[in-house]
Amino acid sequence: MAARRNNPSGIVPTTQNIVSTVDLDCVLDLNHIALHSRNSEYFPKRFSAVIMRIKDPKTTALIFASGKMVCTGAKTEAQSKLAARKFARIIQKLGFPAKFRDFRIQNIVASCDVQFTIRLEKFACTSHGAFSTYEPELFPGLIYRMKQPKLVLLIFVSGNVVIAGAKKRDDFYTAFDNIYPVLAEFKK
Amino acid sequence: MGDAYCSDCKRQTEVVFDHSAGDTVCSECGLVLESHSIDETSEWRTFANESADNDPVRVGGPTNPLLADGGLSTVIAKPNGASGEFLSSSLGRWQNRGSNPDRGLILAFKTIATMSDRLGLVATIKDRANEIYKRVEDQKSSRGRNQDALLAACLYIACRQEDKPRTVKEICSVANGATKKEIGRAKEYIVKQLGLETGQSVEMGTIHAGDFMRRFCSNLGMNNQAVKAAQEAVQKSEEFDIRRSPISIAAAVIYIITQLSEEKKPSLKDISGATGVAEGTIRNSYKDLYPHVLKIIPSWFAKEEDLKNLCSP
Repeated sequence: MAARRNNPSGIVPTTQNIVSTVDLDCVLDLNHIALHSRNSEYFPKRFSAVIMRIKDPKTTALIFASGKMVCTGAKTEAQSKLAARKFARIIQKLGFPAKFRDFRIQNIVASCDVQFTIRLEKFACTSHGAFSTYEPELFPGLIYRMKQPKLVLLIFVSGNVVIAGAKKRDDFYTAFDNIYPVLAEFKK
Repeated sequence: MGDAYCSDCKRQTEVVFDHSAGDTVCSECGLVLESHSIDETSEWRTFANESADNDPVRVGGPTNPLLADGGLSTVIAKPNGASGEFLSSSLGRWQNRGSNPDRGLILAFKTIATMSDRLGLVATIKDRANEIYKRVEDQKSSRGRNQDALLAACLYIACRQEDKPRTVKEICSVANGATKKEIGRAKEYIVKQLGLETGQSVEMGTIHAGDFMRRFCSNLGMNNQAVKAAQEAVQKSEEFDIRRSPISIAAAVIYIITQLSEEKKPSLKDISGATGVAEGTIRNSYKDLYPHVLKIIPSWFAKEEDLKNLCSP
């Protein structure tokens, strides 16, 4: 786990959602899983995967017939791994030879509040305009696509910032460190 | 009458040009040097300022550099409501079956022209929209997209680039079937494609409420004083922290100005129709604007007492 970064403002973004994937490495019978577990739903006409939910950590998993699984809803990386292991255990108990291969975090969503209002129109007009999309008619937030690290930030007038698309915790810490001085320039 | 080399006489001889048959004839031996020559003079006479509408000197429409051959071919139009006529409709069908490489383009240009006519846009915006559409079409990746939304988005971007923005709702009203969401998505897609093609040269400023003021006010029939006051008010309102879409702010400012003026006041429904903003939104934006109304409305338009008389939200 990376240590907390020292941002001069003292604000640290908090993770809201983590999406991870893992390969259970065996073919699954989705009908069997859906019939023999309480907390799952399976409508093959709508979507070809079993949607299973557990209460602790409060997460949802999409389990596919190929044995691949997507786990969403966890708040930290450790919780995501724990939840994925719990889902794998459930599949094991149902009688399938599930393993835990290639656990990988695909997306981390974090948010924070910079505590001041931001002038979005000015932001979009400057040299950062190449990366920003601000359409007040379509969406009230400015969509900033950062190139390095490659992720997307949603910046709102209230000062709330949402960072999405990070694969590692360091990525969104760096992103926030990069964007904070720029935002401070456009304080209202 | 001129001199040319006659192959029979093997020297330069005097040559007679016979206009009736189009022959160039050697006067010494009678040999026809050139036949069926094409007369390139004017086909008909033209008189100055006879009818300003169609200038008989020129034939056909203006050349379109966006199309493959400059738009030289002739198109058989579908007659209005006379589809019972077998001959003309089958002619139209045969032409459409021909391999015209620009058929999709021509159709798209026609749709854009219809939409811009409905909105009353100038030819520069229409041409720019055509150009944008051609640039997007050149990159073949736009096949599976909703055509109507794509064309509407081209028009929207063209209006923006010419500094005469139109709200997405206005474009929605003339685009058949495209929803606001689809046009928004198509617009993002086009911006991305144009950015890929010519490294980030797509320049579009953010919209401001002031850009729409003139149009909304004239739709409601406000007098000049009111229009000027509204424009000033919107300029001043940008300094305050009002978290609303610029169109909603414009609608709310129009509401305040019309409530303050002496003449007949348009109802919320009228303003909603002219601006495209929902009545509830205008009310909420009015609530947000009300605390700052003293500073926003110019003092030459309304005095303090009038402002106090404004109904509190």
